Amino acid sequence: MAESTQMEVETATQTAPLPAKPTFKPLKAHEMSDGKVQFRKISVPPNRYSPLKKAWLDIYTPIYDQMKVDIRMNLKARKVELKTRADTPDISNLQKSADFVHAFMLGFDIPDAISLLRMDELYVESFEIKDVKTLKGEHLSRAIGRLSGKGGKTKFAIENSTKTRIVIADTRIHILGAFTNIKVARSSLCSLIMGSPAGKVYSKLRSVSARLNE
Amino acid sequence: MAIVKDSGFKALEKLKSTEPPVFLAPSSISEVARAASQHIFEKLKPYNPKSPFDELLVDGFDAEQIWQQIDMQSQPLLSSLRQEVNRFAKNPEEIRKLGNLALKVSHEDDVDEMDMDGHDSGDDELEANESEGEEKDEEEEEDGDEEEDGDEEDEEEKDGDNEGIEDKFFKIKELEEFLEDGEAEEYGIDYKNNKGVAKRKKQNLRDEEDDDDEEDDDEEEDDEFGAFAGGDDEEADKLGKAKYTDFFGGKKKETKVKWKDLSEDDEAERENQGNEKLSTHEKERLKVQSKIEQMEKTNLDPKHWTMQGEITAAKRPKNSALEVDLDFEHNARPAPVITEEVTASLEDLIKSRIIEARFDDVQRAPSMPTKAKREAKEMDESKSKKGLAEVYEDEYVRTANPAFAPTTFSDELKKEASMLFKNLCLKLDALSHFHFTPKPVIEEMSIQTNVPAIAMEEVAPVAVSDAAMLAPEEIFSGKGDIKDESELTQEERKRRRAKKKRKFKAESAKEPVKKARDATTVAGSEVL
Repeated sequence: MAESTQMEVETATQTAPLPAKPTFKPLKAHEMSDGKVQFRKISVPPNRYSPLKKAWLDIYTPIYDQMKVDIRMNLKARKVELKTRADTPDISNLQKSADFVHAFMLGFDIPDAISLLRMDELYVESFEIKDVKTLKGEHLSRAIGRLSGKGGKTKFAIENSTKTRIVIADTRIHILGAFTNIKVARSSLCSLIMGSPAGKVYSKLRSVSARLNE
Repeated sequence: MAIVKDSGFKALEKLKSTEPPVFLAPSSISEVARAASQHIFEKLKPYNPKSPFDELLVDGFDAEQIWQQIDMQSQPLLSSLRQEVNRFAKNPEEIRKLGNLALKVSHEDDVDEMDMDGHDSGDDELEANESEGEEKDEEEEEDGDEEEDGDEEDEEEKDGDNEGIEDKFFKIKELEEFLEDGEAEEYGIDYKNNKGVAKRKKQNLRDEEDDDDEEDDDEEEDDEFGAFAGGDDEEADKLGKAKYTDFFGGKKKETKVKWKDLSEDDEAERENQGNEKLSTHEKERLKVQSKIEQMEKTNLDPKHWTMQGEITAAKRPKNSALEVDLDFEHNARPAPVITEEVTASLEDLIKSRIIEARFDDVQRAPSMPTKAKREAKEMDESKSKKGLAEVYEDEYVRTANPAFAPTTFSDELKKEASMLFKNLCLKLDALSHFHFTPKPVIEEMSIQTNVPAIAMEEVAPVAVSDAAMLAPEEIFSGKGDIKDESELTQEERKRRRAKKKRKFKAESAKEPVKKARDATTVAGSEVL
């Protein structure tokens, strides 16, 4: 056995130990914006005023506790204001909260709107009936009736099959859901506006939704 | 007889005197006519010994029946008269004798004969064609009704002796000559020589007013028959030397129509003449030649359209395809002829099918075995109880962690169904007291032959298989390593031989008695 050559260990006394690698924690929301606080202000339509009063706590709790975003109601301006805190983990929380409140203002229910907080991929799309087809007077009323169906069954059918939520507010239509689902719901709604009977829409829905759910 | 005669005679007279229109309507004249015909019948009876009737039966008889009786009488008369005429033709002198006789007899029945005669001659005059005249003469003579018509007319004519008919353009005698000439051409017999006889005969007859007026007529007619009957030997020579001018006095007489007839008749004449002299062979040859000529002629003519190959509608006459029986392939099955039997059979079939309830209904073809049908989500038309978030949550959990996933509606349905089925099975088992007896296994012995599987299983093999019915172990049960003859090594061959020898020895040791005799003989031979 040969002598193992030992590595010469030079005791480097002269060179100072290198400084430890710096470890940076991710930036907090307010730090990102250089310590500035970010705001969101959502106006409240008059018809949603009383529902807001009723469901205020349901809105406040998840936003304040889970999203860690400050929320307050500006009565004078009739706006809901949102503000980032120091411990807001992610800047997107603010946006999500704002979307959530906005969805509520559009007319969606709290459980449906909450999904916006929980999932990233959900969006809200709005369009008007006149975008699809110019209808006036009775035709318009009939189109709205067609959209909802008897007791809202057509709307619910679309909602259940496409996993979306639909709000029909007079001539405006809002759809909440994932992108592809929104597309399907939108197309079925448009065909209803254009005048196709509900049965036809159902059959199309059935085939498309089956494909969607695979 | 006299009385009868008188009555008959009177009847005749009466008939004669009646106006012609009276005969058209049925009247009492019929009685008179019958009496008259009876009278005439009696007159003729002496000349007809074989007749079955003694007298003409008229009471209660139809005109047709009376006529039949008359006819029966006259037929034999005709033949006898024919013979008489032939006799006269050969011996003209006898006629004179007869004529004298006739003169004597005639005085008795003047009027009658006159009537008859006039009637006869009138008939001759009226009817140009004397061959036809024969029948008509008989008819008109013997049928009482018609008699009178003829009588009246004929008397007039007879009295005038052809004054009414003849004029400078038309002579009866010339007509007769012409007719005879025509007949000579046709039949190739020159009886111009006989003409004189005929003429004489006729003159005699007319002048003398024979007793037998029928005989008269028949004689005249028989004269022609005699001519038709053909040549005597005397005439034959004359015929052989006959020439054109003998028949036809000159070319002026002939008309164009006659020409054709002449030419044809000439040939026919010569043929007829020649036939007597030609041998059978020559006759046949002539026939064959004529046939050949005809065939050649048809060959030269343009063919019938059916024989011309491809024909368009324009080239054949209109609607000619309908007349010809065309044969072509029918690609379609001909429509079934609906008869009563067919309908009856169909109805029976229908009835039996209904009784059996064996309708050939179309059955849905079974769908291909694929994976189980995906659970079709029902279209829920009520407001969903879960919020959208919960929906996505459930979905996520189901995909990520199926165990913890909450049951869906279909799952609950399945649960319910399985529960129901369990209850049902429990009840059924209770029926058999919870003792489960499996189905008995009946072991059947079936002989399986080592035939290729294909022969047993399929009729029309889709794929040919060499597999046999029996497994190889069943065919041969051998132990160890089985080697082919060529594969054996030397040691193995030795071993095999040794084994065989041992076996043989063992066997031979078992049966020493039988083989002792053989062994000794063999040994003996070996020694030698």
